[in-house]
Amino acid sequence: MRVLVVEDDRKTASFLAKALKSDGFVTTVLHNGDEALQAIREGAFDAVVLDIMLEGRDGLSVVRKLRELSNKTPVLLLSARGEVNERVEGLNAGADDYLPKPFALAEVIARVRALLRRGSEVKPTVLRVANLSLDSDTRKAQRGDRTIELTAREFRLLELLMRSAGRICSRMAILEGVWDYHFDPGSNIVDVYIRKLRNKIDDGSDLKLLHTVRGVGYMIKESE
Amino acid sequence: MITLRRRLALRYAAIVLVCLVLLVGLAHHEFVVEPAEKKRLGIPDVHELSEWAEISEVVIYAMIPVVLGFGWWMMRKTLAPITALAQSLEQIDAENLHEPLPRSQNGDEVDRLTEVFNALSTRLHSSFQQIREFTLHASHELKTPLTVMRAQLDMLLLDAKLSPEQRTWAQGQVDEVQRLAGIVDSLTLLAKATAGLVTIQRTPVRFDEIVRECYEDTLILAEPADIYVTLNTCEPVMVSGDRDRLRQLLLNLADNAVKYNQPQGTVRMALRHCGNFAELEITNTGLGIPSAVQERIFERFVRGTKAVEGCGLGLAIAKWIVQAHGGTIELATDASKLTTARVRMPLNDGSEHEQKFTRA
Repeated sequence: MRVLVVEDDRKTASFLAKALKSDGFVTTVLHNGDEALQAIREGAFDAVVLDIMLEGRDGLSVVRKLRELSNKTPVLLLSARGEVNERVEGLNAGADDYLPKPFALAEVIARVRALLRRGSEVKPTVLRVANLSLDSDTRKAQRGDRTIELTAREFRLLELLMRSAGRICSRMAILEGVWDYHFDPGSNIVDVYIRKLRNKIDDGSDLKLLHTVRGVGYMIKESE
Repeated sequence: MITLRRRLALRYAAIVLVCLVLLVGLAHHEFVVEPAEKKRLGIPDVHELSEWAEISEVVIYAMIPVVLGFGWWMMRKTLAPITALAQSLEQIDAENLHEPLPRSQNGDEVDRLTEVFNALSTRLHSSFQQIREFTLHASHELKTPLTVMRAQLDMLLLDAKLSPEQRTWAQGQVDEVQRLAGIVDSLTLLAKATAGLVTIQRTPVRFDEIVRECYEDTLILAEPADIYVTLNTCEPVMVSGDRDRLRQLLLNLADNAVKYNQPQGTVRMALRHCGNFAELEITNTGLGIPSAVQERIFERFVRGTKAVEGCGLGLAIAKWIVQAHGGTIELATDASKLTTARVRMPLNDGSEHEQKFTRA
């Protein structure tokens, strides 16, 4: 899988490339928007990690031009600003996802992987991880032979985590997916809900499924 | 209101009247009193003169409305450039500040005034430009090193050789980097808002729905400290606002009510329809706001107590959100140590109000 990293800050670019490489991606790094546009049009990249602030043409304009030319390469937009407007602007320009700085490297990787999977994924109605199952039609959860009652929010949270089982869900992604917040509310609401959900699904079981990834977010997985 | 034009016209009319009265008096004396005197003394009278006097008196009276009308028209013509200037000034906002007002170039007072206004708006425009540049770049300049720090820490944490103690330190650093990034975001938002660079997308919003949703989140937030949360009144009200910003406002206030509370304390929430306003009250137990900071509680970095985690920007943002919606916010602790945040939001106008409610 080939990923193009376009970022004007040399250090950030090199860390991004290093992290993506360690996860098995083949990476190319560029710092200039015009060069990036050229490279994406010529080279066969599977995904692009694109900063908004660039030398030459800015990131938003690169995405806009790509989509104008009917180039559908998935784009993860990075930005130093992290505002609602900017996120909306980025997605409207044609970007597939948006991540505000500073980000966890693990989250960039998770989002790039998600971009590559996009479209090819089937959505089963019953989700399973070990002996935990969640039926998204009846909204019922079951751990072994124990039925778990969930509130609407808890259901959405568990569904989000189980749909990306084995992968990290960042606090940001959870806020977006469960609360539809596109800004950091400056509250520990995600952590409090996770604690509550953890009590409901993991209490009384030896195998803990809901794990904390410090500084990034949470994930559901079978093994340690 | 007495406009400049009316004032000038009145003075002009007064002067004209005084002149006319003097003129009439003089004519009366010259043509009526004096001939009578001459007649009495036996000096021969000149009849034609007296007739001429009568005619001129009539003409003078007839002239009064004509002269006044002419004066009114003259004032209007003279003051027209000022009216035009005022109209052009009304069109000015932060966006078109750099466009100069049209000048007559005839060197009169109004032209001079326009020149001064143009110079003033050029200076204002460059200040606006500086604030804009600063807010756009400050975030980028500050976030870039934070991003590098975060990436380095992430790399460090991947190292399996790290001792548990070192790992804890590195993780603590990650938390601090995120906290700092949050402060940068809040500060940039406030700086932009102050410079009028943030647009609020206002649509009709069911405020009670947002309050109810926030109440459910507050219940969960309050659970660990065993705080009792109530929402006794939640009347259906429609406001015109930015849904995301209103949710941010409510969560911010509710989060404070929980954080600055005491174990087994209470949080009381209520939303009422009061006249033309929606009134939201969030009352909590706890230590309350020290009177020393009460006056400045909405200012940046002012905090009631340092014992609770936070950066002191939440209330400044809350106040901005409320004001951007044309509402008011107060926060005060009463004698019984209850702290109440009271937000009043103007209701959405009647027609929309009705429409949405029948649909809902």
